[in-house]
Amino acid sequence: MSSLLVCEGVTKRFGGLVALNNVSIEVGKGEILGIIGPNGSGKTTLINVISGVLLPDDGRVIFDGKDVSKLKPHVRVSLGISRTFQGSRVYPYLPVYYNVALSARSVYRDPEIARAKTNWALTVTKLIAEAVELPINLTPFKLRMVEIARAIVTNPKLVLLDEPFAGLSAEEVEEVIKIINKLNNLGVTFIIVEHKLRYLMKLAERVVVLNNGIKIFEGPPSEAIKDREVIQVYLGGGVS
Amino acid sequence: MAFAKPSIKRRLVRYVPSITIMVAYSCIPLLGIRGFWLDVLTRANIFALLTLSLDLYSGTTFYLNLGISFIAGSSAYVVALLYRYLGMVPEYSIIPAIAVAIALSTVIFLPSIRVRGVYFSVLSLLLPLIMVSLITSQPLSLYLGGEGGIPLPSLFSSYARMLPPRERIPFLQLTWFYLTTALTIVAAVLSYKLAYSNFGFMLRAIGQDEELAEASGIDTTRVKLLGFLVSSTLAATAGALYAAIRPPVTVDVLIPANTLVPPLTAVILGGMGTIIGPLATNYITIVAYELLWDAIGRWRTIAYMLLLIVLVILKPQGVVFHIYLKLRKAIATKLSSVTWR
Amino acid sequence: MGELEYILLFGLFHSVTYLVFSLGFSLVFGVARLPNLAYGSLYVLSSYLAHALSSYAGLEMYWAVPTAVLLAGAVSLVVGELVVKPALKMPVSVFITTMAVAYIVEEVLNMLMGLRPVVLSLYPGTSSILGIAVSNHWLLVVGVCILMVISLTIFLLRTSTGRAIRAVAESWEESMRLGIDPLRVLRVTFLVTGIYAGVTGVLLAPLKAMTPSAGWSPLFAAFAIVVLGGVGNLIGTVVASVIYGLLEQAVVYFLGGGIARVVPLLIVVLTLVVRPQGLLGRGE
Ligand SMILES: Nc1ncnc2c1ncn2[C@@H]1O[C@H](COP(=O)(O)OP(=O)(O)O)[C@@H](O)[C@H]1O
Ligand SMILES: [Mg+2]
Repeated sequence: MSSLLVCEGVTKRFGGLVALNNVSIEVGKGEILGIIGPNGSGKTTLINVISGVLLPDDGRVIFDGKDVSKLKPHVRVSLGISRTFQGSRVYPYLPVYYNVALSARSVYRDPEIARAKTNWALTVTKLIAEAVELPINLTPFKLRMVEIARAIVTNPKLVLLDEPFAGLSAEEVEEVIKIINKLNNLGVTFIIVEHKLRYLMKLAERVVVLNNGIKIFEGPPSEAIKDREVIQVYLGGGVS
Repeated sequence: MAFAKPSIKRRLVRYVPSITIMVAYSCIPLLGIRGFWLDVLTRANIFALLTLSLDLYSGTTFYLNLGISFIAGSSAYVVALLYRYLGMVPEYSIIPAIAVAIALSTVIFLPSIRVRGVYFSVLSLLLPLIMVSLITSQPLSLYLGGEGGIPLPSLFSSYARMLPPRERIPFLQLTWFYLTTALTIVAAVLSYKLAYSNFGFMLRAIGQDEELAEASGIDTTRVKLLGFLVSSTLAATAGALYAAIRPPVTVDVLIPANTLVPPLTAVILGGMGTIIGPLATNYITIVAYELLWDAIGRWRTIAYMLLLIVLVILKPQGVVFHIYLKLRKAIATKLSSVTWR
Repeated sequence: MGELEYILLFGLFHSVTYLVFSLGFSLVFGVARLPNLAYGSLYVLSSYLAHALSSYAGLEMYWAVPTAVLLAGAVSLVVGELVVKPALKMPVSVFITTMAVAYIVEEVLNMLMGLRPVVLSLYPGTSSILGIAVSNHWLLVVGVCILMVISLTIFLLRTSTGRAIRAVAESWEESMRLGIDPLRVLRVTFLVTGIYAGVTGVLLAPLKAMTPSAGWSPLFAAFAIVVLGGVGNLIGTVVASVIYGLLEQAVVYFLGGGIARVVPLLIVVLTLVVRPQGLLGRGE
C-alpha cells in the first residue's frame, strides 16, 4: 500500500506550549485513520497543520509525494486535501447551496461541472431540501452535513474530519458513518479525529493516540483499548 | 424535476422594472428640470459610483475601505496635475488618471489588505487626511495648489465655446448629466452582476468567515485583491469625473466628510451588499440633503452623522435576509437544471 | 553640532507627548479590540474647553485646565457608553460610530469657534538645556507627561482595576471566566484614556495651533506607534514613540514640516509589509 500522506516530525508550539511534539504519521491510500486523545492533546492542531491553517514550526507534511508544508490552505484543497472544523463552521448568512457551491467553484473552472458536483454533494448528504435554507435555521446534524458536503465537493483524495460525531444522536452518527463508508468505497482516504474511541472501532483499521502533543500509540483500535498507556491517559474519561 | 432555464421572454420580464427606472431617470431633463437640480443629479450620479465602490467591496466583505476618499482624491488630483504640468485637458486625462489612482492605492493598501481588517480600515481613513495636510503645507503646496486648489478647464468646455454664450452652460450641464448617467447605469449593472455572481458570494464568504473560506478552497488573497481593484476603479472614475466637471480641484475631494460619509450612509442605510438599496438611498439622501439646506443649513452635516450613528446601532445586519429571499428562486433553478451521475 | 542636539532634544520632547497620547489609544485598542477614532477629537476638545472656560467663563488657568481635562474624560466615557458599547457586536460599526463622533465634534467646533486656531497661554520663561534655549512650557509638558506615564504603569501593574484591564485586553472570554466584567472595564478604560487625550491636548495647545481638525494628525501618529509597537504592548509603545518622535523631528528639520506628515504613513506601510504583527509586537 503506497502512502498518501506522510507527516515527518511535525512540531507546533504556541508560545511555551508544545501542542505537537515531533509527531510522525503515515496514511495509506484508501485508508481510514483514527486519531484519538484527550482534550487539548493536539488533535485539532494536527488537522490544522495538515490542512495548512497553521504552519508547523518543524517537520514536513508530504501529500501524494509532494512537500506541501509551506502551501496555503486553498492550494492544498485544490491538490485534494479537504477538512471540516470542530463544532461545524459554515457561512451563517449564505444559503446552504452557496456554502457548498463556492468551494466547488474555486476548484472547478467549468461552472457546469461545479454545479453538477454541488448537486452531487448535496444529494449524498441529503441536503437538497435544505439547499435554500440559511445555516442559522438548521439543526446541528444538518450543519454537520453541510460541512461534509463542502468538504467532499472539491473531489478530495484525503478528507480530515474533526470530531464529526460530537453532539449527534446514535442514528445521526450512523448516517455520518454511512457517508464516510460510501466515499471510502469510492477510494477517498479519511483521517477522523475523535475524542471517544467507541465510534472509531467500526470505522478505522488503525488509530493514532495523542497525549500532550506526543504520539503514544499507533495500531488497530482493538489493541489500543488494551494498551496500558492509553488506558492510563483515558483513566476517568473512559475509553469506550 | 424537469425544469428548463427560464424562457427569454420571462427573463426580459424580470428586467422590466429596472429598465423602466433607468429610462425614466434619463428622461428627467425632458421634464424641464435644468440648472441647479440637474447639477445636483449629476453630482448624485458621481456619488452613486462611490456608493457602488463602497458597497461592492465593504458591503460584502465588511472590510471597511474607508479609502475611497483617497482613491477618488488621487485621481482628481492627477487630472488636475496633468493639466497644470502637461496641458492635458480632462477629455484625455481622465483615463490615465484612473489608472494612476488605482496603481497608487494598490501599492499603498496591498500590505494591509493582506493582513487584517482593522489596520486596513484605519489606514484607509487616515491616509486622505494626511494627503490634505501634505497638499496644504509648504513646500508641496506650491506644486499641488495648496488651499486654493488647481484650476482647469471643465470637461467639454472646448466644445461649448463653439456655442453662443447663453447656450454654453445649459449644454454643459446636459452633457455632463447624460455622461454621468450613462456611466452610472453601466457601473450599476456590472456591480449588480458581480455582487450576485460566484465572485460576489466569495467576497461575502470572506466577510463571514475568512479562515473557513481559505480552508475550503477559496483563494482569499486573490479574491480580496480583485474586489479591491474593481472597487478602486469605480472610486477613481468618480474622482476623475468630479475633477473634470467641478473644477478647480481642491482638498475637498480628499476630505472624508465630503466624499466618504455620504456613500457610507447610503450603504448602511440601504442595506450592505445589496447594491440596489445603497444605490437608491444615495439618490434619496443627496436630494434630501439639498432640500434640507434651507431648513437646517450647516447643521445638516451633524444631522447626517447622528443619523449614521443611530442607524448603525439600531440595524446591524437585518439586510442579509433581503439577499437570502432573492436567492431562493435562483437556487431552485440551479438545482434542477443539471443532472448528475 | 547644534543641530543634532536640537533634533535629539525636541525629538525626545515630542516622543514623550506622543507616548502619553498613544498609550491611551493603545489601551482602548487593546480592550475594545478596535481603534477609537474619536480619540483625536478629545485632544482637540479639551483645549477648546480650557480656552472657553478661561476666556468666556472667566476661570483661572489652573482651574480651567483640569476641568477641561476631566470634561474630556467624561465625554470619552459617554462616547464609550452610548456609541461604542452598543456597536461592539459588529466591528465595522465601531469604526463608523466613532468616526461620526469625531466629525460631529469637529463640525460643532467649526460652527461655534470658526477655523481660527485657539491658543492657550504659555507657561512663562525659558531655560537653557545643552546650550539650547527651551521654553519652560516644554519642561512642564515633559514633566507632566512623565508623571502620567509612571502613574499609568503603576495603575496597570499594581491596582486590581489595572489588572482587570490587562486581563480583558488579553482575552475577553478568559477575563469573564475570572469574574471580571469586561463592559465595566471598558467604561474605566474610556474614562482614563479620555483624560490622557485631554491632558495631551491642553499641554500642547500653547505650542501648536489648535484647530477643529487638529486631532487627526496625532491620531495617525498614535496609530503608527501602535502598529509599530504592538497593540497593548507597553515597552513596545515606549520604544515606538521614541523612534517616531526622533524620526519626525529629523524629517521636520531637514525636509520641512509638510513632508513630515508622511512619516506615520511610511511607518505603517513598511511595518505591515515587514512584520504584520507589529515590529515590536508579539507573534500571533
Ligand atoms: N491558536 C492557538 N493558540 C494558542 N494555543 C492553541 C491554539 N490552538 C490550540 N492551542 C493549544 O494547543 C493545545 C492543543 O489543542 P488542540 O489541538 O485544539 O487539542 P484537541 O483538538 O486535541 O482538543 C491546547 O492546549 C490548546 O490550548
Ligand atoms: Mg480539537
